[in-house]
Amino acid sequence: MSCAPGEPCEEGLKRRRALIVLGLMGVLFIALSAASFLDSRGQVVPAAVSYAGYDVVEGKRVFQAWNCMGCHTIVGNGAYFGPDLTKLYGKVGPAWIEAFLPSAGAWPTRGAVQLQLQNAAIAAEAGVDSIDAYLGKYPAAAERITRRGAHATQMPNLPLSREEIGHLIAFLKYTSSMNTEGWPPTPRVDGLAFAQAAPASASSLPAPVAAQPSEPASQAARGADLARDTGCTACHASSSQRLVGPGWGGLYGSEVALADGSKAPADDAYLTESIVAPDAKIVAGFAPHMMPAYDTLLDEGEIAAIVAYIRSLGGAHP
Amino acid sequence: MIRIEYQTQRLSLRFFMLMLVLFFFQAGFGLLLAAQHIDPSLLAGTLNFNIVRAEHTNLGILWILSGFIGAILYVGPLLSKRELAAPALIKFLFYAVIAVVIWNVVAQLYAQQGLALWYMGQPLLQEGLEYLEGGRIVDVVILIGFAILCYVVLRTFPKVRDWNEIHWGLGLGVMALTLVWIFGMFFVARLDLQEYFRWYVVHYWVEGVWEVIHISLVGFFLVLMFKADVKSVGFAVFWGIALVWLSGLLGNAHHYFWIGTPEFWQFWGSLFSALEPLPLIFCFWHIYLDAHQDGKPVANMPAFSFLLGSVVLEQVGAGILGFTMTFALTNVWSHGTWVTLSHAHLALFGTFGMLGLAAAYYTVPLMRGLAGFDQRPGRLAFWLVFTGMLGLGFAFAIGGTVQVFVYRTLGLDWFGGDVAPAMQFAKLLVPVFGLVFMVGVCLLVYDLLTLGMRAHASDEAAATVAPAGWRRPLSGWETGLWLLGMWIFGAIITLGLLSFNLPTVREGSKLFPYLMAGIGYPGLLLTTLLFVARFLRSLDARSQVAPDLSGARLGHALS
Repeated sequence: MSCAPGEPCEEGLKRRRALIVLGLMGVLFIALSAASFLDSRGQVVPAAVSYAGYDVVEGKRVFQAWNCMGCHTIVGNGAYFGPDLTKLYGKVGPAWIEAFLPSAGAWPTRGAVQLQLQNAAIAAEAGVDSIDAYLGKYPAAAERITRRGAHATQMPNLPLSREEIGHLIAFLKYTSSMNTEGWPPTPRVDGLAFAQAAPASASSLPAPVAAQPSEPASQAARGADLARDTGCTACHASSSQRLVGPGWGGLYGSEVALADGSKAPADDAYLTESIVAPDAKIVAGFAPHMMPAYDTLLDEGEIAAIVAYIRSLGGAHP
Repeated sequence: MIRIEYQTQRLSLRFFMLMLVLFFFQAGFGLLLAAQHIDPSLLAGTLNFNIVRAEHTNLGILWILSGFIGAILYVGPLLSKRELAAPALIKFLFYAVIAVVIWNVVAQLYAQQGLALWYMGQPLLQEGLEYLEGGRIVDVVILIGFAILCYVVLRTFPKVRDWNEIHWGLGLGVMALTLVWIFGMFFVARLDLQEYFRWYVVHYWVEGVWEVIHISLVGFFLVLMFKADVKSVGFAVFWGIALVWLSGLLGNAHHYFWIGTPEFWQFWGSLFSALEPLPLIFCFWHIYLDAHQDGKPVANMPAFSFLLGSVVLEQVGAGILGFTMTFALTNVWSHGTWVTLSHAHLALFGTFGMLGLAAAYYTVPLMRGLAGFDQRPGRLAFWLVFTGMLGLGFAFAIGGTVQVFVYRTLGLDWFGGDVAPAMQFAKLLVPVFGLVFMVGVCLLVYDLLTLGMRAHASDEAAATVAPAGWRRPLSGWETGLWLLGMWIFGAIITLGLLSFNLPTVREGSKLFPYLMAGIGYPGLLLTTLLFVARFLRSLDARSQVAPDLSGARLGHALS
């Protein structure tokens, strides 16, 4: 549209007209945008949501710092490698996420979720205090426990701190209460009735995390079952490998270096104390407040069985 | 052959070389992502999927930008009939881009420890927002880089009253590139508001800025290659840009359907973004007209192949596949699934990536002063990356359709147990086509890096090819029929996505959407493949004349 000499030049006029139309559309766009974020729209804002004393905006910072969107999606945007997280909180409830996040490499078991409900703040957020009522209120949590409990996930264990987990759940509580205009669409059928749903015991599933004890003593075998059902094995490997907490293989009878610089022998008393009061002795290189106390969930016999299981996993016998 | 008229044009060479290196690594990260999709435990804890993906998307943006900068620096002096302003700044810009790349590749690794380095509320290292993963430090350096580019381009151009449409397109393009970037430089606490502004950068870059730069550059390379009249190309560029902005400004609304913004966006987004293919059809038509106006042989077939690929994949990836998922009623299903990946890969690599490669193939032989070069590796590389990318688009689309059904219709949300196994076939197809693509990338990177440094193998024997059958001249009618065929398959895909709303599908029958996707996607992508083959063959039949790399008498073309 260059003007040749002698020809009438109209390109300036056309450009101006196009810019005027564009300007009008810009005004329309700005008006629509302004209307989108008015208070009268009634959209939930971070300041209106709190979770057990944790902060939504801090949670959003955690969400970004770990680039959660690089695998998951949020309001549908992200990487499509993992599930969308927008409505997760409303579906599975706070206790399930509390049980999941410290040890994301394994799906939480019933015991692990039950343990979280012992925490009054979490129970208050959930609105129920018994595991049965919880699973009734959050069927998606029940479905996850039944089908996936103790199986390995496709997510790596992330070394999230206790604070980060709390903030993150606050953020997920906020996104879950957002009005997303009906997205994602609610399924009209029970997907579990279809062939696409993997049966809970199919061999194609990732292997359960719990390993078999090397000594088939009945006490140790009972301990192994308990360790899996309670969710211990989501964080503790049966080898000496570090998952979230220290591995159990070869632990028994060894000298454990503690965070305060002292050493403790890993005997029955030490292991029992670590189960009922985990923060009493913190192993060097691990963060405090990560492991919940199991004193209310397990009785003495059950704890002894788990200790027997750990003993059976080898180590120097005193 | 033409000699390089302005010495500062040579500054573009280093940006093209950088583009090729980044392209190689970006494609490599893509292959790694495909492998991690099949085995999620691969490198878990060492190089997690989200890190690899951030590197993949960021390097993708950075190499496309390097290609743009190279192309703009090459055409800038030609458009202005004088040397580039401030060559020292351009040299600085080059090292700044390298520093940005290295800094950002390393900074993204810190997402694995959750380290963003918050300072005064801003994440300095990395910020975990899709496509804008770079932290504030790199954001600021990039802003400075864009400002330098603006300064160089605007200082080099003649006075505004002497601008033709290509000056307008590139001038407005580089300014908007800089301006829009600023919206991604703030931490926003509200999720809906953050996503609102994130799309300012992502959508307006692609739809408002890159598209405008693309139209202008394609127009100018057609002028260079075919001695097309700058006036008639200018006409196309004017309408292209006008339509891009008139449809794209409100078209951004298609990103505001489900992010927490009100329902009225569904109306505006569906309406205006359905118009977004219009400028692309315009551009598509023009490459046909310009390539066929004088019937002379195409001197540089690799360059033209990539230019054609760019315009055709823009039509297919951005235009048609974008159209299929732009309506609220189809987007509600495609949103957040692999269906969108098919569109994103074809549109981004196709439109913008192939333009940079076309520019490199056109300019590198000229800057290295070659009288001729062996075009066979370039042509083969074109077919490998073109076929590979169409195959990737197919795999993503099929995987996406299965994902929509299992994840959304059936509501199964166990990715490891339910969703991923159902998508297994598509997940396996991705690395297969990914390897084809990667072989093409290696070939073209090697070819362009060493062009003129190798012994010049003799060109293909000039056997006379009869311009008949598949090689007969391509008429406007035939081109129109091919385009119609693509849109018919596009309509089938759209109906397939719409069919997810049908009561029978919602009650668990997958027949209709699977059938439509099974016809629509392979149909569309095969039509595309055959059309490009047909187009290039019809040009082959002409190429019996000794190649003259110039293809353009610039003095005439630019007057």
